[in-house]
Amino acid sequence: MIRMIYVTDGSFEGILTAVFEAYSNKEEPDTITLGSDYQLSLGTEIREIATDAEKSDRVWRGIQSRISEKCLEDLYRAYLSEHPQAGLYIYRYVRLGLKLGRKVEGYLQHPDVQAIHDLSRRVASEVHLFLGLLRFRRLKNGIFYACYEPDSNITQLIAGHFAARLSDQPWIIHDKKRDVLALYNGVEVVFATGLPPIAEEACDEEYEALWKQYFKAIAIESRRNPKLQRSFMPARYWKNLAEKQL
Amino acid sequence: MNLLDKLQILADSAKYDVSCSSSGSNRSNRPGGIGNASLPGICHSWSDDGRCISLLKILFTNVCIYDCKYCVNRSSNDIRRASFTPDELCELTIQFYRRNYIEGLFLSSAVVKSPDYTMELMIRTLKKLRHEYRFNGYIHIKSIPGADMRLVYEAGLLADRMSINIELPSAAGLKLLAPQKEPVAILKPMDFIRERIEESRELVLYKGSQSFVPAGQTTQLIVGATRDSDLKILHLSEHLYSRYQLKRVYYSAYVPVNEDENLPSVHTGPPLLREHRIYQADWLLRFYGFKAHELLDEGHPNFDAHLDPKCDWALRHLDQFPVEINKAPLEMLMRVPGIGHRMASRIVRARRVGPLTFEDLKRMRVVLKRARYFITCNGRYYGGVDLDAGLLYPLLADKADKKVMAGQISLFG
Repeated sequence: MIRMIYVTDGSFEGILTAVFEAYSNKEEPDTITLGSDYQLSLGTEIREIATDAEKSDRVWRGIQSRISEKCLEDLYRAYLSEHPQAGLYIYRYVRLGLKLGRKVEGYLQHPDVQAIHDLSRRVASEVHLFLGLLRFRRLKNGIFYACYEPDSNITQLIAGHFAARLSDQPWIIHDKKRDVLALYNGVEVVFATGLPPIAEEACDEEYEALWKQYFKAIAIESRRNPKLQRSFMPARYWKNLAEKQL
Repeated sequence: MNLLDKLQILADSAKYDVSCSSSGSNRSNRPGGIGNASLPGICHSWSDDGRCISLLKILFTNVCIYDCKYCVNRSSNDIRRASFTPDELCELTIQFYRRNYIEGLFLSSAVVKSPDYTMELMIRTLKKLRHEYRFNGYIHIKSIPGADMRLVYEAGLLADRMSINIELPSAAGLKLLAPQKEPVAILKPMDFIRERIEESRELVLYKGSQSFVPAGQTTQLIVGATRDSDLKILHLSEHLYSRYQLKRVYYSAYVPVNEDENLPSVHTGPPLLREHRIYQADWLLRFYGFKAHELLDEGHPNFDAHLDPKCDWALRHLDQFPVEINKAPLEMLMRVPGIGHRMASRIVRARRVGPLTFEDLKRMRVVLKRARYFITCNGRYYGGVDLDAGLLYPLLADKADKKVMAGQISLFG
């Protein structure tokens, strides 16, 4: 049997366009890629999907009116997970949702629903984790700079929180894995890609030293439990945490 | 003394306070201000003992006039003493907050000079933080037993959460180990805070006036310093939740810090497993509709070290099992060992669409290791053994205590 691969540009609009095309071509793609980086093998057929604002809009509005707003949020979060099958899962969920309508969200025993719920939840919990784990350093020019390496592409989901909370200080959040930036100038947040327009110099040693001191003093030695610590704060995140640097 | 030393001494002295929760408040930032409070709370790190760090948990001073036997800061102990100034503490809080190290401040203190004097110092710090530094983040303040109610009230207007530590589960224990503290000095302000909270909730609805302790009050008691049973502790907690409307009761396994004939030896470790079981039971009281007398009674006053309290209960009430996953009401699903609050709700939601099979449950990530012995799916039983306490006990008991220890503090919020 021939496997059908839809190749998108990796944008959310691209995936929604792919969903549109699957419907209008009366096809069931076996994979919907996030970008042009995919494995080509024997017995596959490739369909290049050109992202189309009008088509993706129609799918967007269809989900809004026939399923729900919350569903769109779940799908978008699942997309940000960058899971290699996220495109396909989104397609399958929409297909089921257009059939069942609103009640698709309660259909937790269905594998297509489970897949989206899992990814959406994974992203949501990483967002919550980084509201706490993000660390800013004050640079010499007064800008607060935070770099991190999240599993999912969550910068746009966490920026609003910091704009509300740290509204009186300019800051930059830098996803070093993807070179995605959120820049805040005291008024608004701007998103960009590339390297931050600052030099990451040695600075802010005073407060980092105080924080490390606090971190050490607050642990109860007779209750030491590194396994438990790791289960909450996975070791892969440690390199950007001041308190975990010796 | 420099700031680094002070921080070391006063954080070290504060570490036995359990609560670090920053939940229950949703204050928004003001223009020109810094910070807000997030309703579910946010953890910022986890220390080497696996406990969450959410707030800068610190004492104002560890200079104390009291000589409580269980306390590391007792006046007769020869330890380094230090005190902050209100400005030092404000600056530290703000600078930590700007770097997203913390969610706010948890300010406690030893009793210096008098309860009123101590409370006034703490209030001065909070006032500065709220008004001069325009801080809108989370503040938890420990009320000092014996302080004037006027001061308790003033502190409550500045804080999100207040707590007064019960310390020991019985009046007799308190008399033995903390003779200078009286039960009434703990319970009276607790009641006072409860009344003010209720009053302020009503007022806020009408006038939009200042809120008082919007995230509620909590307390803490030490487990294992006295001979009180689990039953006694659980009854006390139940009473505190219903009578004083507490948000949380925290339990702290006693870490022996002082040598005293009335205390466990400093060479014994903290009773972590016991603390873990009591936390599990506390959860059952607050979210699962259990009553203390269902979980323990005079003939069975302490939890089984090898069974979680829900399993323990279920084995003594096998006549209520198995329950049918597709029919049982939510309250009964929540009583099934291994099925939590969240999973029970998901089951109820999913079965509206269609009947659930055992495979469906697996796919929904229901942990069936324990649950399988207590349920049926469409009338079929998947446990594979008779519903008999003697047969089930070895299947449900925790094999290695190690595993229990690894998960034990995961209940801290």
